[in-house]
Parts: sequence; C-alpha cells; structure tokens
Amino acid sequence: MEGNRKRWDTLKRDRMERIREAIPLVKMGKIVEASNAVKLLETVIKPYDKVTIEGDNQKQADFLADCLCKVDREQVHHLHMVQSAISLPSHLDVFEKKIASKVDFSYAGSQATRLAQFVKEGKIEMGAIHTYLELFGRYFIDLTPRVALTVAVSADKEGNLYTGFNTEDTPVVIEATKFKQGIVIAQVNEIVDKVPRVDIPGDWVDFVIQAPQPFYVEPLFTRDPANITDSQVLRAMMVIKGIYAEYGIQSLNHGVGFDTAAIELLLPTYGEELGLKGKICKYFSLNPHPTLIPAIESGWVESIHSFGGESGMADYVAARSDVFFIGPDDSLRSNRTYCQAAGHYGIDLFIGGTLQIDKFGNSSTATASRIAGFGGAPNMGCDPRGRRHSTEAWLKCGREDGVQRSLIGDLPRGRRLVVQLQETFREKMAPGFVDKLDAWKLAETAGLAIPPVMIYGDDLTHIVTEEGIAYLHKCSSLEERMAAIRAVAGFTEVGLEEKPEETTELRRKGIVRTPEDLGIDLSRANRSLLAAKNVRDLVEWSGGLYHPPAKFRSW
Amino acid sequence: MRKWEEMQERSFYESTARERAINLVDKGTFTELLAPIDKMTSPHLPILGEAVSFDDGVVTGVGKIGKRPVFVISQEGRFIGGAVGEVHGAKMVATFRLAQQSYEKIKEKYPNDYESRIPAVVISFETGGVRLHEANAGLLAHAEVMEQIQHCRGKIPVIGLVGSKVGCFGGMGFVVVATDMVIMSDRGRIGLTGPEVIEEAMGKKEFDASDKSLIYRITGGKHKYIMRDAAYLVKDTIGDFHKQVAEALKMSYDEVQSHRCIGSLKLVEEQLELVKIAAENNFKDATDVWAYFGNKKSDQIQDQFYDEFIREAKRRPRR
Repeated sequence: MEGNRKRWDTLKRDRMERIREAIPLVKMGKIVEASNAVKLLETVIKPYDKVTIEGDNQKQADFLADCLCKVDREQVHHLHMVQSAISLPSHLDVFEKKIASKVDFSYAGSQATRLAQFVKEGKIEMGAIHTYLELFGRYFIDLTPRVALTVAVSADKEGNLYTGFNTEDTPVVIEATKFKQGIVIAQVNEIVDKVPRVDIPGDWVDFVIQAPQPFYVEPLFTRDPANITDSQVLRAMMVIKGIYAEYGIQSLNHGVGFDTAAIELLLPTYGEELGLKGKICKYFSLNPHPTLIPAIESGWVESIHSFGGESGMADYVAARSDVFFIGPDDSLRSNRTYCQAAGHYGIDLFIGGTLQIDKFGNSSTATASRIAGFGGAPNMGCDPRGRRHSTEAWLKCGREDGVQRSLIGDLPRGRRLVVQLQETFREKMAPGFVDKLDAWKLAETAGLAIPPVMIYGDDLTHIVTEEGIAYLHKCSSLEERMAAIRAVAGFTEVGLEEKPEETTELRRKGIVRTPEDLGIDLSRANRSLLAAKNVRDLVEWSGGLYHPPAKFRSW
Repeated sequence: MRKWEEMQERSFYESTARERAINLVDKGTFTELLAPIDKMTSPHLPILGEAVSFDDGVVTGVGKIGKRPVFVISQEGRFIGGAVGEVHGAKMVATFRLAQQSYEKIKEKYPNDYESRIPAVVISFETGGVRLHEANAGLLAHAEVMEQIQHCRGKIPVIGLVGSKVGCFGGMGFVVVATDMVIMSDRGRIGLTGPEVIEEAMGKKEFDASDKSLIYRITGGKHKYIMRDAAYLVKDTIGDFHKQVAEALKMSYDEVQSHRCIGSLKLVEEQLELVKIAAENNFKDATDVWAYFGNKKSDQIQDQFYDEFIREAKRRPRR
C-alpha cells in the first residue's frame, strides 16, 4: 500500500525544485541581477507551462517580456501564455521564436493586426478572447499560471512590492499564481530599503529584478479636448438631457473616447445649466480621465474608483483623496479586478463608442484584419443578471423594458442602461451602421469559434447618434428594435431602409427621440459649450496639478 | 450668428475663418466679397473626386477699423487644412488689388488728408501652404501674393495674424514673414516644413512629431515673439487680435515697417547673423536660444501663462 500512496504535493515539490535550481542566480535575498534574468527564466520556466506576462492596459513588464524572447527554445518551448493584454511587439515575438505556442487573452491594442496575421499563419493557437474579469476568473479555474512575470515600481530586499499609481492587474496575477504553488518574478524600477506602501507582501514574491529601464507606461486615457467635434458636443447634450437627466444616473462608467470626453466636459456647463449637479454623475468606475477634472473641480463627483492610473494625473489624484482611492503613501491605489467587479455590479449605466453596430443592435470593434479583443467594456456593457440591489435609474429602465413582463410576469426587476454612442459615418466615411458586422469575416479568416462581439444587442438599451436617441429596451420585438435602429442610422445602408411612417410611430411612443423632441437647441451644439477646450485649460482647471505628457502639451 | 460683442471674447483659435473675418473689423462693417453664395469653387477638385467648398477655403472681404478700410483675407483650416488652390489664391490676390485701387481712390479724393484713411490688408493665416491637388496653381498663387505684398510696399500696411488651429506652414510660412507685421497668440504656429515631414525626412531622433511640446517650442507664438518673427503676442481672443490690429493702424507707416523680418539689406544681414549665432552656439532646443537671449528660467517659459510671459520675456535685441 505504501508504494501506491498518491502524492498530493507534486506542485509544491516541483516549485521547490525549480526555486532550488535558481538559487545560484540570486544575488541577495530575492534579488536577481538583470544580467541573469534570461537565465532565471530558462531555469524556472518549463516547457508547456502556463505563463502570464503582466501586460496591463498601462504598465508593462516590458523587460521580462524581452527576456522571455531571448530564452533558449531547446529548454523553454510550447508555453501557453495567459495574459490580459498583448500590447508590446515582444508579446508576439515569443510566438515567432516558437517559445510559446498558445494564447488566452483579453485585449490586443496596437498588436491587433499582427496577432490576426499570426493566428491566420498558424503561429499561434488561439485559446479564447476574454473580458478582463472572465480571464481573471479563469486564472482561478483552469488557466492558473505556473509562472507570473509581473511588474512594480519598487521592491525591498524582502520582495515587498510597491505598484504605485498603476496597480492594475498585479494583485490578481500574483494571487492566482502564488497560491497554486506557482512562481512569481517581478521586474521593478528600483530596489529600495523601504517601499512607500506594501501592495504585495514579500512572501508572495519569489524573485525581484531591477530592470535597466523604468517600465513603459502608455497614456491611454487622455483625450485632448481640442479634437472634440461639434457633432460630439451635440451627442453629449443628448446623452445628458435624454438619458442622464431622464433616468437620474448616479453611478456609471465612461468608455474612453472623444464622445465620452465631450460629456465629461459638458457637465460643468450644460449640465449645470439644466440644474443637474448633485442629481447625476456622482459615482464613477473610471480611470483618472483628465477630461473629468473640470467636473470634479466644480463639485459634481463624489467618488471614482480606478482600474489603473493615467500619465500625468498622479499629483492631481493625490490631492483629491475625497474623490479617489488613495493609499497611506498618498498615491492612487488602482485595481483592475475590483474596479471591473464594481463596474459590473455597482453602476447603473455604461456608455461608450464603437466601430460598427449591425441592424439588430449588436456592436463590435473588430475589423476583418484585426483581433483587438475586448478588454473590460463587456463587463460593464451588459446587464448584470446577478444584480439584486435597486436604484431609481435601474428600476425605471426595467419598468420601461418592452419584453420583461412576458418573461417574469409582474415582478419588478430593474435593468442596467447600456448606451452606445455612434456617429452615422465615422472617420474616412466608414459607416457606423452595417448590415453584417466585420466580426463575422474576422471569425472566418482567423478561425475563431464565434464572431467577437463587444456588446450584444439584447444588452444594449440605447443608441445615440446625431439623428437622435433610440430607446431600444422599450421595444417589444426584434422588428421594432430594428426599426428604431434604422430611425437613427442616418444615411448608412441600414438607415436608408428607414420607413418614415414607422419612425413617426416610434417617436410618438417615445422609442425614438430627435434632438428637437428632446428640446435641444441645435445652434448651441458646438465647442463653445466645452468647459475646457484644450489640454492647457485642463491644467488650469487642475490648479497646475495635472502634468500632461509631452505629446499632449500643445503650447 | 452671435453678436459682435460676444465674438470679441471668443477664442481666435476656435473660430472659423468667417467668424474671424467678420469680427476682426469694427462692428457691422464687414462685407464679404465672393461669398459662398457666389459659388466660385475649385475647377480641379471635382476631377479628382474631391468635395469642393463654396468659398474654396478662404473668406475675403472689406470692413473698417476707425476711418480706415481694412481688406481681410481669412483662411479656413477645416477645408483641406486651409491649403491654397487656384481660386483660393486668386481671391487672395484680388483682395490685394482691391486694396490698392482703394488706396489710389482715397488719395485722389482726400489729397490733403489721406494718411489717416489709407487702407490696410489683414491676413488671418490658417494653412499648410500649397494645395497638392492643384499644386501648380497653388504655387503660382503663392508667388502672386508675394508680388502683391511688394506692390503694397510704401503704401499699404500688410498685417499677418497667426493663431488658428492649423497654424501657418509650407509656402505660406514664407508669405507670412514677408508681411509688414506679424501678430500671433501663443497658440499660433509658424513654420515651413511641417513636423511630420521633418520627422519622415530626418528621423525621429532629430524631430519627434508626436512631441507637441517640442513642436510648440520650435514653431509656437512664444518662440516667434522672442525671436521677433512676431511683432506682437496677444491673448487668444478675436477681440485681442482686433485691438492689436487697431493699434497698428494708429502707427505711422514707418513704424509698422519697422517690424518687418525681411525686405531690406539690413534685415537680410540681421537674419544671416542669426544663422551665424545658431551655428556657433550649437543650440539643441529652443530653450537654449531663449537662454542665449537672456531668459534665465528658459525651461519655465513654456508653462507660463500670457501675462507672466509678456512681463518677463527677454526678446532678441534688434540691430
């Protein structure tokens, strides 16, 4: 019997073995010299391991990603990458070099075109494209990393990590790896005697490497007000009057884009004029958008919890601890997992822009040649079926729902507002409404199991275009929804199918409302309504606390 | 259309060419010539399948400041980046000709009192230069405008204003410095080759076109003011530009001329001396040049707001 006894600690023993092999590379405590980084990876990573490289939305474990590309592929191969973002060229180079072979991820950003190419050429076996929460969830189910390559601002000799302004994914990546007997390697900008605050306890970290260069951060959430168009101002007025005021939206998430930046910049002007201060837009799940500064300074916003930071906003955020979540060291504590969960359950409204909406109301940012992934938008751009607390906005949207009664009878149940902002014709005259999404073509060319859809039509409650607002959730059939979409789709192929008598009926029912129906003076819909017209104005609003990166300093 | 008084407060940078044209002159005095209703459009663009604009991207007309007729040319950056095509250029040239005819008539009518009534030409530049779709006509237009500026010399002050979104680049970068006086806001930019083109030709190390801060240090109003390429730096409102033009029109013709960058042997020598200074000192950035001319905290200049900058800026001394 003795010989047959099953071992229940194989993972732990394997882990100990790998760590033991790496001991000669350790300089002191947990610190490994940057020059030994490649060797360390060759030692602790084994073929077929699941490996995560922390490629967040913003801060990047770029040094470790480069090192992984340099390992000997005789020793390390067939890795299964499980990472939230594919954002650096090196994230794909590991596949070109045949070090890794499979990927499960959330968001591809600037690597979207090359990723699609690799998948098509068979260089990458595609697992699935996830939302952030979905991927993080699977870290604790069937995609647990064996090795995590993470990134922090600083570490001490015991391995305590300070993630600073951009904590983002670090806690979830490390927790999933460490507690399933995996190995955690962190690159840091500097090694210090005492970290300003402990974001990750040292005993969760196995190795620390001071990278030769500070990690790369991309200012993804800054939109220069100078580039906001009059048409965006009009849609922002419609959103504020026809949706935020109409439903009394208190808690929300804004997708990143010029459309939502316009809304943020209209709160202190148009919103104030409509007497909405204190009645709408009090609680946000949101990165520290610089365009929200005027609304914050005017006293609109009570609380903002953030997925990550934003370049140049550190001093401003630190000085507004009533609004943001701030650590004992006075800097922002962001956390993508918590913020996504908060955004999924805690908010009444999600609003964002998209590339294409089809005639049924499904929307996608995919094009035939790019696998862009989802990021976090679908976690907020959906109705959370597990929500059980009620707010007036949520209940009103549920009451108006055209099909709910036919499913659950007369029981009151609310509904998340999911709003898509769309220009009927986008840049380069690309139509914003299409008969069939390009996502279908992408699924075919890249061999994906399903077309990547950002927001499904049945989750979508409102579409806002310069033609008007379609209150889709009020519709009682797919036919009616399609008619409402046509009514706001302008001169696109979808919009040209509009039947005027149908639209008249929809306007009568309040399912479609034009700017005139909403009582919006079109002659006022221009940039002069913006509380800040350029980045310099934002700096002025912030009292000099906002320090925009050079690429935004237009003065 | 909003009231003239309201428009004086409006950002010059944010305003359309027509808003600028109407409100740069005294209230209610502007008459547009070859307005959109005349539909004089580019003959070349339709052949290329491109959309036309009924004013071909430039507003021309005449108004008054005080007693003086002011002939206005105002370029519209929202139409092909304010680029100069055949009609656009012809409208500019025709406006100069009208100004000269007006000068002769006034002189004839008020032989003893014409100096306080002589016309001026004001150009609100917002352009990337030649419209590549009609490049030959566009280039010719540049030359003709230069010639018209020469015809005006000794008679009619020509004032260039730069403070709009596109700035003043390409061939029009040459034209603007050939005017008698340049007035800018700190949001205005003047240059010859656009930032992206420099980057493409010389590499990102030499010029990073995504670095807006760098672009403004090299081409922006503050730099041009320190270097005296711009005679005056004003705040970014139509009213401030209007007031500065009105001030200029109170000056004697010789005083206006004293702000020229080129146009005499002495001025050419002055420019060549600058080239020499630049070569000798091996400046790495505009901040080095500012420091050379006595600005001690040159690294803070870029972040200074208008009043502080005007109070503290040390400008290139003139010979």
